Amino acid sequence: MPEISRYAVVEKTAKLAADVRVGPFAYIGPQAVLGAGCVIENGATIVGQTTLGAKCHVFPMAVIGAVPGQAGQVGRCVLGEANSIREHVTLSGGLEAPTRIGNDNLIMIGCQIGPGASVGDHCIITNCTQIDGGATIEDYVGTSAFTFIAPGAKVGMYTYIAGYTGIEGQAPPYAMVQGYPARVRGVNSEKLRRCGFGDDDIRALKEAFRELFNGAGAQADPDVLRRMAGEASLNVHVRRLVEILQAGAGGRSA
Amino acid sequence: MKDLTVIREIDASARVAAEATVGPFCVIGPGVTIGPHTVLTRRVSVSGRTIIGSANIIEEGCVLGSSPQDLKYAGSSTMLIIGHRNRFGPRVTAHIGTEAGGGLTRIGNDNLLLDGCHIAHDCFVDDHTVLGREVLLAGHVLVQSGAVVSDLAGAHHFTTIGRYARVGPRTPVRRDVPPFTNFCGEDHEKLPPAVRGVHENGMRAAKLSPGEEAELRKALRELFEDETALQTKIEQLVNMGVEGEAAALCEFCQHSLQGVYGRYRELLRGQMPPEALRYLPPDLISLWRNKA
Repeated sequence: MPEISRYAVVEKTAKLAADVRVGPFAYIGPQAVLGAGCVIENGATIVGQTTLGAKCHVFPMAVIGAVPGQAGQVGRCVLGEANSIREHVTLSGGLEAPTRIGNDNLIMIGCQIGPGASVGDHCIITNCTQIDGGATIEDYVGTSAFTFIAPGAKVGMYTYIAGYTGIEGQAPPYAMVQGYPARVRGVNSEKLRRCGFGDDDIRALKEAFRELFNGAGAQADPDVLRRMAGEASLNVHVRRLVEILQAGAGGRSA
Repeated sequence: MKDLTVIREIDASARVAAEATVGPFCVIGPGVTIGPHTVLTRRVSVSGRTIIGSANIIEEGCVLGSSPQDLKYAGSSTMLIIGHRNRFGPRVTAHIGTEAGGGLTRIGNDNLLLDGCHIAHDCFVDDHTVLGREVLLAGHVLVQSGAVVSDLAGAHHFTTIGRYARVGPRTPVRRDVPPFTNFCGEDHEKLPPAVRGVHENGMRAAKLSPGEEAELRKALRELFEDETALQTKIEQLVNMGVEGEAAALCEFCQHSLQGVYGRYRELLRGQMPPEALRYLPPDLISLWRNKA
């Protein structure tokens, strides 16, 4: 039996795995599905067509699945496993596409994630990060405080976004991005090392970044990009970077 | 305890003073101590091994003493200690410490923390400070007495905000802020974060003697008129035999220079900070020492 506080409200049709814990004054809506080992702390709200995978921890006062400004509409929100949703976080439910959160993410206090946004796996989203509707955050991304990610923007994997940075358009993978308008400042080498990238890979990425974003760091140099794409023996990660930058060539790179 | 009819969840083993007020929808966990005349208005959540002193006012939606946002934290019994006469606005969050950081987060006395402030693990906020709306302190930050941090400012891990200093709105603090200075700016070429003059309100609040104030102002002018060759200028001032607050300012700046990227407390990484030794109960100090 789930362990439900006498002061929690859990709607009859909500589906809770056997060992879910729900704290006092929490509200679990009728279409919520909570996987094994989920902990919903006091005052948290889960509404809409919302699914939480196993071992998600929702901290006090977080709100998951509500549709902003659309009373009566039911949004969709899908969370994977082992996510930590900290105090006062808002994960909006999506109406057209569901809001998706992958696995093993830490979403810190006061973050707001808009309807239809998508966050990959193993991301660390720091306090007060604003991820707008339809934005895409790939795997292993880190953000710092007060980061703003515009509607429909995309942040590539392993990228770190510094504090107070605004991303409109696309942030490349493997990068450190900072400022508003955002600039590529270098390679997120510490994260890559922690994720098991070899020294050769990191060196190759650093050299590629230096050539591509030399100068202002606002946009990849199209000539260098074309030359690199033509090179036969390119590091696998650099190849990936080049392909992503070429695919996104229509918009701003950061 | 006043008004037993309100709906709230107070753990049987929590120690809540009879003169404290715990409003509706508050949740108090088992390891919590709350002193007399402290008011938890509504919907306040206190968990962890947390001690709240007397006569604090804690507004709606505050969450105090939950686990640190640190992936290395594995559930040890670390502490959050809050002193007396503090005022917390709505949605303030403060976390317990981490084992590696000394195991203590502390908020002193007579502080004003406005809406949505976040005090992360192993932070020390001394006395009489004002933290504006949505001020974010990352882990291991020290805010010294009398400092004023404006709205939406954020402090990087291991930074120190000096006594009676001011941090401007939306300012990223990535290095130590010297005492009595006005530190502001944004991530913008036109106005990068830097020391920009003296914090006059702080200078008034410190109530220094006219002689000490004059010496401090002179030292501030010498050091920060332009921030080049800081080391040489500090040495010159020390050789001149400055005293009191001016000497303390020189010492602060010297420490920051010794640190990493201008952050003195980086040198305390993995160590027990002196503040934790001062305020932690003896049993926890010996526990941490045995682990180290």
